[in-house]
Formats: sequence, C-alpha cells, structure tokens
Amino acid sequence: MDKLARQLHDDAQRIDVSVSDELDRRIEASLRAVTPEFEESYPAPVARPPLFGWASTITGVAAAVALIAIVNWRAPAEPVPPPVNIVAAIPSIELKAETAVLTGPLQQELDRLQSDLKKAEEKVKQDIGL
Amino acid sequence: MSDELKLIAAAKAGSADAFADLVRAYRVRLLRFLLTRSPSYADAEDVLQDTLIAAFRYLHSYDPRWRFSTWLYRIAIRNAAKSRGPDLVEIGDLRDEENDPLQQCIADSETDNLWLNARQLLNDDVFAAMWLRYAEDMSISDISKSLDRSASWTKVNLMRGRRVLETHLNGAAQQSEAYG
Repeated sequence: MDKLARQLHDDAQRIDVSVSDELDRRIEASLRAVTPEFEESYPAPVARPPLFGWASTITGVAAAVALIAIVNWRAPAEPVPPPVNIVAAIPSIELKAETAVLTGPLQQELDRLQSDLKKAEEKVKQDIGL
Repeated sequence: MSDELKLIAAAKAGSADAFADLVRAYRVRLLRFLLTRSPSYADAEDVLQDTLIAAFRYLHSYDPRWRFSTWLYRIAIRNAAKSRGPDLVEIGDLRDEENDPLQQCIADSETDNLWLNARQLLNDDVFAAMWLRYAEDMSISDISKSLDRSASWTKVNLMRGRRVLETHLNGAAQQSEAYG
C-alpha cells in the first residue's frame, strides 16, 4: 500500500462514528416491522407417468417415418405427351421480303394523294375560268 | 457454509434477528460512509436505517456471487442519492461548515484529514469510488458494481482522484515549506 492509500485508509478510520443505542433500537424495531418479500413460487411440475417418455418417443418416431414416406411417395407415371416443336408452331416472319412488298401500301397511298391533288388543281382552274 | 451465508439464508427465510446479526458489522462502516454523503448526522442515520430496511425487504434479490458488502453499499448509495431529492445536487452544495457531520466526527486536532479535502476536490462519484477503494479496500470490480459504473470508468476515476489529491498534498507541502 503506498503512502497516499495508507493515509486515506488511516484518515477514514479516524472519522469517529458510532451507532447510538437509540438508532440501534430504531433499526431493530423497523426490521421487525418489515416483512421480507419472497421470490414468486412457481407450482412444482407434476410428475409424468412412467411410460410417458416411451409413448412420446414412439409418437415422434412414427411421425418422422410418416413424414419421410409422404416426402418420398411418388404417383404412378402418367403418359407424357410428345414434345411440341415450338419452333415449328410459331409462324416465322419473312425478314427477307422485297422492298416493294414493304413499301407498296405507302406508294399506293402516295398515288391516291397525288391524284386527289391533281383533281383539286383542275377544279380550281375551272372555277377561275382558265 | 460461512457464517455470513448461514445468516443470509436465515434472513431470507424471514428472520429479522439473523439479518440484524448479519448487518451488525456493517452499520458503523456504512454510517461513516453515509456521513460523507449527507447534509447532517440525522440524515445519515435515516439513510442507514432505510438502507437496512430495504436490504432486508429485498434480500431475496441478493445474488450470492456478489459480496454482501458490495450489495449493501449499492443500496446505501442509491438511498443517499434519493434522500437528496430529484435535483441531484452535489453534496458539497449542501454542506454547512458549522453543521458538517463529517467535520463534526473528526477531532479538532485532525483538520488535515484527507477525506475533508477529497470531498471538496472530487465530485460525488469519484469521492465514493475513492472511499470504497481506500477506506473499504474494495476491488475495482466491486466498486464498479456498487456505483453501477464500468470497470474502466472506475479505474480512470480512481487514478484521477489520486492525482488530484497528490497535487493537493504536494501543493500543501510546498506552501508549508515556504512559510516554514
């Protein structure tokens, strides 16, 4: 113990304290008036019948066996239909079509518009007397 | 089984006599400690009484892995703080020089009692840690439990407390040399 620790220890002992008889009586009287609290008591577990353990073990094993059987059980094989040729079923798009085939409808629409324009032009000329 | 454990077992069973025997050795030590944390002697006595009643009432919650004194000090520290009210003022603020119970219990010739200086220089928790360590010889672990602090907090603050007191002592020594 170093010097400071020794001094602190000794100085603490030099604090002159005593429990008076009056305080002593007061403490003892109040302790007698106190009812200590007790831990909550839980009901003791009821003893199981001797065969309970065996019965629960057998039930557990039976349940496990039943589960394994259900998981591994397979229904009889049904006739499998022949595989469908998906490539053949889907209509193919002719990507190599001629340009005329693709632009034909547009060309026809253009022709109709030009024809309408020509007719309108002639009508205007007639109206103004040319 | 030690005598203390036998008394604890009997007190747990409801024997007030066994509990009174159990705490007989701690009463003076607790009162001395409580004097450092109370504004008057009467307050310290009241806190001691409340502490012992609470300990008896809740003895069922005592964990034998703790030292009994550690558990008792923990209750005492809490009760002392509770008696000071919710504002938690430092005990230094409550002290009245004339009615200071600690001062009253120290002989006039021993005005250099280091605990008087410690109480002025250290805050309540550090003072309590120093007290439990050097007056009660408690281990760091027990002090931590009593104060509900971590072991590292306890170590650091014990070191700080020592440094403060050493500085104070060195300063006082230099001053006396200067005047000497």
